[in-house]
Amino acid sequence: MKYEGMVHALEEIHRLLRSDGCLINIQPLIEAPLIKVYQENTVIFIEPDPSYDYEEDMRQAEAALTQGIQRGLFSIERSSEFDFLTYGSSVPELRDFWAKAGAYDDSPKEDTTEARVAEIYARVEKIRQAAGQGVEVALHERARITRLKPNVMNEETL
Amino acid sequence: MTIRVDPENNEIRTLLELADFRGQLVLEIGCGDGRLTWRYAGRAEHVMAIDPFAASIARAKENMPGELKNRVEFHLIAFEDFAAANEPSTFDGIILSWSF
Repeated sequence: MKYEGMVHALEEIHRLLRSDGCLINIQPLIEAPLIKVYQENTVIFIEPDPSYDYEEDMRQAEAALTQGIQRGLFSIERSSEFDFLTYGSSVPELRDFWAKAGAYDDSPKEDTTEARVAEIYARVEKIRQAAGQGVEVALHERARITRLKPNVMNEETL
Repeated sequence: MTIRVDPENNEIRTLLELADFRGQLVLEIGCGDGRLTWRYAGRAEHVMAIDPFAASIARAKENMPGELKNRVEFHLIAFEDFAAANEPSTFDGIILSWSF
């Protein structure tokens, strides 16, 4: 969804909410997720995910939310950040899982990105195989939950 | 190997610190396969969960816990279409779930 669509969505959310209701927005922070390899509870590999390509989408989301607040549609009541980890046996398995969930864009990337992704995956796989039992791969994202209250608007301000 | 999503429960713990859904009519936008929905729906009066991806909604319906069947509805629909079909001031809470 692009910026204009996000702003319109916020207008519609405001319309659908009761005046004493709340909007909860959950979204990742604008930073690359980390690929981690755990052996038991110890991190033995950590690198930013080279396939991270949604920074611009996140910036547009932040801008849309800011616009919604500046226009007086919503006010922030509370906000909190958290770590969100997904564990699997390999990076491709994790990516496949999120692609099937509709949360990951697995469309073709630039050659340089593909090469970097392939390199990281190969390193992870090598480490995973060398480590043997008790190894897990994780995708570690930081995310924020924001609670917003709808403000009463008159016809002119909408 | 089974994929494990947020086994530490950081997301639901943070969500429930910020919102109390008891007795509320909740709309979840971008529910995916219901992963988060299951974790809070038992507290709400009723949940309408929407997503534009057919495969995700199919999995959500398939995996719906029996005890939530009268409490949760999943709909395959884009938010703009859903919004156009619904009256103002309908919901107590709306969750934008990783969908912006």
